Amino acid sequence: MYAYKCDACGELHHPKHFVCRKCGGTDFTETPLEGEATVLTWTKVYNLPEGYMKPYLCFVIARFDNGLTVSGQINSEQPVTGQRVKAVVGVVKEGVGRDFYGFIFEPAQSVA
Amino acid sequence: MRAVGIVGVGHTKFGRFTGSFLDMAASAAKEALDDAGVRPVTGHGIDQVFLASMGAGQVNKISGAASALVDTLNLRPAMAETVENGPASGASAVKLGYMAIASGLCDTVLVVGAEQMRVISGWEATDFVATMSHPEAEYPYGLTLPAFAGMFTRLYMDKYGVTEKDLAIVGVKNHENAMHNPVAHIKLVPNLYAITEDEDANVINPYVAEPLRVYHTCPVSDGAAALVLTALDSGREFNHKPVRIAGVGQATDTHVVAERREPTELFAVKESARRAYEMAGIGPEDIDVAELHDAFQILEIAESEEVGFFPKGTGHLAAREGKTRVDGEKPINTSGGLKAKGHPVGATGVSQVVEIVRQLRGEAGGRQVKGAKTGLTVNFGGFGNNVVSIVLTTRERG
Ligand SMILES: [Zn+2]
Repeated sequence: MYAYKCDACGELHHPKHFVCRKCGGTDFTETPLEGEATVLTWTKVYNLPEGYMKPYLCFVIARFDNGLTVSGQINSEQPVTGQRVKAVVGVVKEGVGRDFYGFIFEPAQSVA
Repeated sequence: MRAVGIVGVGHTKFGRFTGSFLDMAASAAKEALDDAGVRPVTGHGIDQVFLASMGAGQVNKISGAASALVDTLNLRPAMAETVENGPASGASAVKLGYMAIASGLCDTVLVVGAEQMRVISGWEATDFVATMSHPEAEYPYGLTLPAFAGMFTRLYMDKYGVTEKDLAIVGVKNHENAMHNPVAHIKLVPNLYAITEDEDANVINPYVAEPLRVYHTCPVSDGAAALVLTALDSGREFNHKPVRIAGVGQATDTHVVAERREPTELFAVKESARRAYEMAGIGPEDIDVAELHDAFQILEIAESEEVGFFPKGTGHLAAREGKTRVDGEKPINTSGGLKAKGHPVGATGVSQVVEIVRQLRGEAGGRQVKGAKTGLTVNFGGFGNNVVSIVLTTRERG
């Protein structure tokens, strides 16, 4: 998983944008998105759409320390707002002949 | 620009429609044409038909559905387009109808919104609605509209002290309003105590997407609604005095919800309403009745703030105090809203306008807001990435 850093001004984007939201630049460099993030909000969803063979799934919106904010799944029964989490890339949906990869957060070991 | 008014309204009973998609759309359309006094076949005078639907192609396997609708109503050779703009398709079609007449291209336009979702399973419907989220950063994760609404609700609770009971208060109010609306999907009023404080509340009102529960979210509905729009200077006679479309505003926001700088703000709601007010030459204080897109009860609270009815962070307090009830200072969702009237996605924006027309004509029966002269609709697409607001009035042009 990558952040797309504007070559002109350094603004980070995820997902990819064709035009920088800050300066209008159109050239970007892929930067690996990893490390720790903070949970801004979370939910536990019980009515998952077609294609997810689970009774429920937890999701978060989390902010990386570089300021970039993303949505993702979280491997936790009970997330907590403000919790420190670690970004891992994994299969978020099993498709026919093709799996979909994305952020699956896990509670971070370090004490924030 | 030419002034545009609404002279006909039609609306099927929301809920489950057992006939075909086309029958449903045509039923609402026919009712609106009859209400206006337009006679199809000979000299109908309909220049253009807009049919709004999010899923006609994807769910019902009918592409270019407006062409079929025009023919079954015998409105040929009227121009026809199908409009897809997610859950804001309905209000987008009203906007396009307005533009077609205001520009001088058309004199009279039929706008129809229709959605038939109960022909697929609940899981498939949830998946279909989720296709409006970002195709890479959201959809593949299994993120759905209830998931975003749940996370938005939690942010609101943490920041402003909104409680689960506040959401239930808004829901119960809308169910009470729906009891007076013959076309509403759900005809029952849940007991506030039973769904919030009773020892069985968790069973009666289980979580859908924490902290959102069943009675904080709208049902899946089929339904259609229709309007006849006409130029006020066309010289044509109709059965009803026109309700004028005084303002139309639309705005977009980041497609990816997580990218919003201030996650508790709904920028596109605020901006679309501001544009509609500006065009109408009025402010939020002039609105007598409003239909706000309450697919989730938190949205009615947040939108009531973004459109300027109440200061940010106090919408839930206004609801607690009864200010948004039919007899309150800012009546919201007198139709029952999406919560109880139902939410056939592509029909919703048209249905909201039908309700305001009925209110401004004084035809709303037990849910009538006394002396209502100006109303607002907010039709919310995506999770707020594309929003259309419309101001309607019976007042003279200022
Ligand atoms: Zn830049």
